[in-house]
Amino acid sequence: MKDFVIAQELDARGLQCPMPLVNAHRAIKQIPVGQVLKVLATDRGSVLDFKGWAETDESIELVKQEEYTDEQGRRVYAHYVRRVEG
Amino acid sequence: MHWKEQYRPEEVADMLAQGVLLAVLDVRNEEEFRRWRLEGRTSPKMLNLPYFEALEDEEAFARRVEAELGRGPILVVCAKGGASDWVAQELLRPRGFQVANLAGGMEAWGSAYRSRLLPESASDTVRIWQLDRFARGCLHYVVASGQEALVIDPPRHLGPVLALIAQHDLKVQAILDTHAHADHVSGGPALAARTGAPYYLHPYDGIHPIDVLPAAIPFAYLQDGMRFSIGSATLEVLHIPGHTLGNTAFLVQAERRYLFTGDSLFIQSVARPDLGGRGETWAPLHYRSLRRLLNLPEDTIVLPGHYASAAREQRTDGLFAAPLGQLRRSNADLSLMEEESSFVRHLLAHLPEFPPQYVDIKRVNAGLLELDEEGLNELELGKNICALAGAYAS
Repeated sequence: MKDFVIAQELDARGLQCPMPLVNAHRAIKQIPVGQVLKVLATDRGSVLDFKGWAETDESIELVKQEEYTDEQGRRVYAHYVRRVEG
Repeated sequence: MHWKEQYRPEEVADMLAQGVLLAVLDVRNEEEFRRWRLEGRTSPKMLNLPYFEALEDEEAFARRVEAELGRGPILVVCAKGGASDWVAQELLRPRGFQVANLAGGMEAWGSAYRSRLLPESASDTVRIWQLDRFARGCLHYVVASGQEALVIDPPRHLGPVLALIAQHDLKVQAILDTHAHADHVSGGPALAARTGAPYYLHPYDGIHPIDVLPAAIPFAYLQDGMRFSIGSATLEVLHIPGHTLGNTAFLVQAERRYLFTGDSLFIQSVARPDLGGRGETWAPLHYRSLRRLLNLPEDTIVLPGHYASAAREQRTDGLFAAPLGQLRRSNADLSLMEEESSFVRHLLAHLPEFPPQYVDIKRVNAGLLELDEEGLNELELGKNICALAGAYAS
């Protein structure tokens, strides 16, 4: 995988669908093209939804997804979204 | 009809049974939509348009909805009810669409129940309620005479059955599982603990057929010919091995006769004989057991444990029930029951895929495996596959 710069981290933990994606969509417009927005969500449905968003929206690219348990014991789904065009 | 902003799953199930829900917008991602969706006696026009497609161009999203479904009334559906509510509130209603949200989404749909009093029993000395977990096609029953009641095949969500018992001030005398279920987690042991009534299962089903291990749950033994009395009615146990070795049906004798067939005879098909891993050995037993049921009087009302297609099996009043005589004529599998060897061949030729999670569900039911709520939901996702496939091929 190519290296990437995380321009911004968006903490959407605890937010219900559709807010992690709605907020990510807003935030990605604010970062430079080529850089990556990291989104933290606790909604498991976000995994498939971010994949679907990346397939639909040509202006973004899903670089990777990972999951881990945070310090509060919550299952966290992290999505790395690159802005690919203006 | 009056159109609300939020509908509960039970209300939507009724609308589908009555044929008054005409358009559904499902805003989940395609993969989830492919896995399962709203289903009922009638099929509304359905459009899958993921909510994230609206983010870039709301106007285009609204235009597509209008082109496919019109401007409403439309029920919007998603996984948990959040994204669909957002689509309804933020996007469609401001543009003049008449839209409502399925509250709680498919998650709520998956564990919701609709309870209906069997009209045939309304004038009888027993009252029979059919509780329908419509997302899975699973049926369970409360049979009451006076204030005494029996509960048949309760699921793990005890809320609806406990509410019904409280509402009618019933005292549960016994909880009966027709067999060790493979498609859903039984609420039998938990309901026994809640009500103090004993939980019954046939002992042959107290052994996990794949693991060949004894169940680690307490249960009392059902046996052929055993009788339970409630009020002025009796329930007789019929041991009908085939779907499982300990499979049973329950014949309730009041002013009418009611046969709770569990997983043996359904409205439009029969149960499969292979979920214990021994389809070839069990199929002849299944044939003989079905024969035994068919010898009962024609006017016996059959109340099954499952259905596979509400469109094919649900009555317009929402119930799944039919006189045995009618099933002899209209049930696709029963019409092939003339002779044992050809019927066995038919059974074995129409086995649907073996659902891998069914082995684990039986482990949970036998107390051999413990899972959390999320794990149980995962195991129980989608429609049951307990019937033969042939009757539903279109």
